[in-house]
Amino acid sequence: MKNFTHLLLKEIKELLNKQLIFSLLFILIIFNFIFNFIGNVTKSEIKKAMSKQKVAVLDLDHSPVSRNLIGALNAANFIIEEKSGDKSKVVDEIRHSSLDLLVVIPEGFGEKATRFQPVEVETYSFLRGVSLAGRSKSEVVKMLLNSTNEYLSNQFLKSKIPDLDPKLLKAPIKNKEYVVVKDKQAEGSSAAVIGAMTAQNFILPVILMMIIMYSAQMVITAIAMEKQNKTLETLLTVPISRTSIVMAKMLAAALVGLISAVIYILGFRKAFIFSEADIGQALSGLAPIMKQLGLTINTQGYILFGISLFLTILCALALATILGVLAEDYRTAQSLSFPLIFLVMIPYFISLFADINSMSLPAKLLVLAIPFSHPFFAMTNIMFGDLNMVYVGIVYNFLFVVVLLSWTTRIFSTDRVLTMKLKWGKKKMVL
Amino acid sequence: MGVVLEVQELKKKYGSLEALRGVSFKVEEGEIFGLIGPNGAGKTTTLRIIATLLTPTDGRVTFMGYDLKKNPEKFREHISYLPEEAGAYRNMKGIDYLNFMARFYARDEAQVKEYVERAERICGLGERLKDKVGTYSKGMTRKLLLARALMTKPALAILDEPTSGLDVINSLEVREMIKGFTKEGVSVLLSSHNMLEVEFLSDRVALIDRGQILDSETPQGLKDKYQASNLEIVFRSAVR
Ligand SMILES: Nc1ncnc2c1ncn2[C@@H]1O[C@H](COP(=O)(O)OP(=O)(O)OP(=O)(O)O)[C@@H](O)[C@H]1O
Ligand SMILES: [Mg+2]
Repeated sequence: MKNFTHLLLKEIKELLNKQLIFSLLFILIIFNFIFNFIGNVTKSEIKKAMSKQKVAVLDLDHSPVSRNLIGALNAANFIIEEKSGDKSKVVDEIRHSSLDLLVVIPEGFGEKATRFQPVEVETYSFLRGVSLAGRSKSEVVKMLLNSTNEYLSNQFLKSKIPDLDPKLLKAPIKNKEYVVVKDKQAEGSSAAVIGAMTAQNFILPVILMMIIMYSAQMVITAIAMEKQNKTLETLLTVPISRTSIVMAKMLAAALVGLISAVIYILGFRKAFIFSEADIGQALSGLAPIMKQLGLTINTQGYILFGISLFLTILCALALATILGVLAEDYRTAQSLSFPLIFLVMIPYFISLFADINSMSLPAKLLVLAIPFSHPFFAMTNIMFGDLNMVYVGIVYNFLFVVVLLSWTTRIFSTDRVLTMKLKWGKKKMVL
Repeated sequence: MGVVLEVQELKKKYGSLEALRGVSFKVEEGEIFGLIGPNGAGKTTTLRIIATLLTPTDGRVTFMGYDLKKNPEKFREHISYLPEEAGAYRNMKGIDYLNFMARFYARDEAQVKEYVERAERICGLGERLKDKVGTYSKGMTRKLLLARALMTKPALAILDEPTSGLDVINSLEVREMIKGFTKEGVSVLLSSHNMLEVEFLSDRVALIDRGQILDSETPQGLKDKYQASNLEIVFRSAVR
């Protein structure tokens, strides 16, 4: 045990070298800085887009209808700056100002409107860049037209059918939405519930992927470095059991991988700042509905998820150890970790963009054959109470771990740790 | 004087290649035993088997009464192995590397200190021990590793080409060092293809070629037997 902790400390120190610490700090500082910056800029642009819009209006009609329309726009979140004079002159004037939008109400607008004929307004958008605010201008035009349409159609309806509320005429149906999950139902929108669940499950796969990827890569590197520096032979002859050597490497990699993953997530967190706020908002409003539907996770659920995750990390570490033995140096170690990363990416993307349960059976089995898949789908399954899938995943991963770990320790207690190599040609792999 | 190590009919196959075809020899307490042979003769393979790195295909190895197959951990406790091509952790300082390795063998901190101090004396690197191993020359690294192999005063030091990569002066120093150590009860099993080195160092030598021991004697005994003036000529006659 004394020797084990001694070796473990060395492994951790080796992995936490200057380069890693530097790159982690870099991620933490630079990414926070960048995303803070981007976040602030986007936030202020969005704020600008959402706040009252300044709009220049040129009224060439001067009828009661056009005056009323301007009044209605004023009431509907627009700050109106009235212009007068020749159209081309006004356009020219605004080009040199900071105004972005001009609405021209042509002559005869009021007269046509009172005769229920189609009417025209002209809008001029002044583009000064392609930022978010620039793009949101078309939204502002739409809002403006909606407000104009709303006002005019309400006027028409009122004058033709004075004793009916125009709102009722335009939307006579009111929808009452219910969501049903298994034997439970609740009043609420299915889109909101799914939105809340995906928002909640959005960050989890990222964390999962990072932890698995990082710890696996750490093990491969740790073993490959022993080979590259030609220290493995010496290490294998010191009085410490081979199992301890393997375990020390795995444990150190898991710890350092975990730390790196956490730091990366802290670094990238700023990138998700909007979705995080959205999650909070969506959840606080939907919490009672989610509870009514039984879409919450209890302690047992979290324990099941924890077991699934733990076994998966062990799988990744054991697999990475074997790959590390195949590696000859740092560079081959990097390329050997690609298949592993690929295997983690598959369930990651499926969990983000597809529903595993709606895939065809062979495809589904193929995905579930990857031991890393199970924790990615465990959370949703636990939420929906499909615990059988979770149990099957845990048993499958447990068997996988037992086989892989015994294989790994066997490799380490025989000459294969020194002689195992990838050979292309006659025999594909000499294991 | 008792026998420390006994190797009987050792065989090793790498796939279809027969690297060792029945190697037998004995190393006695406090002696330097040299394995000499050309490239690919099977020297490294033999030493790696004794150092518990490789499993033999057939044969028996007994060390201090322990059997290799049953008690490899006893071998590791009392053997030091200097691989033919070895390095130390490049990010560690020389002194930290010695401390790190000493802790595996020492009973307590006092013994760690004793081991490291001995290693400092052996390697003669002085202040450079405070530098990272990554900055060492090949010869400096070799001396560091040799010091670490000898610092614990193992019952048997297995040295695979101890002077490889060293210049003439350093080789001489290292040879003196190894020779001095056997006076303190350490037995040494070394390999080399430098016949003159082995002749100078070894109390007894074994000639190995193509996985077989051709002859085993004291250097003087071999020279007398083959009526040769040095081991190189002995070897040529033996191979024929
Ligand atoms: N890992 C291995 N896989 C396959 N064959 C090997 C391996 N290691 C050694 N051999 C073969 O075994 C034979 C003996 O090799 P060994 O390294 O023991 O020779 P050696 O006497 O130490 O030679 P040298 O003086 O060059 O170090 C050689 O033919 C070599 O090619
Ligand atoms: Mg050799």
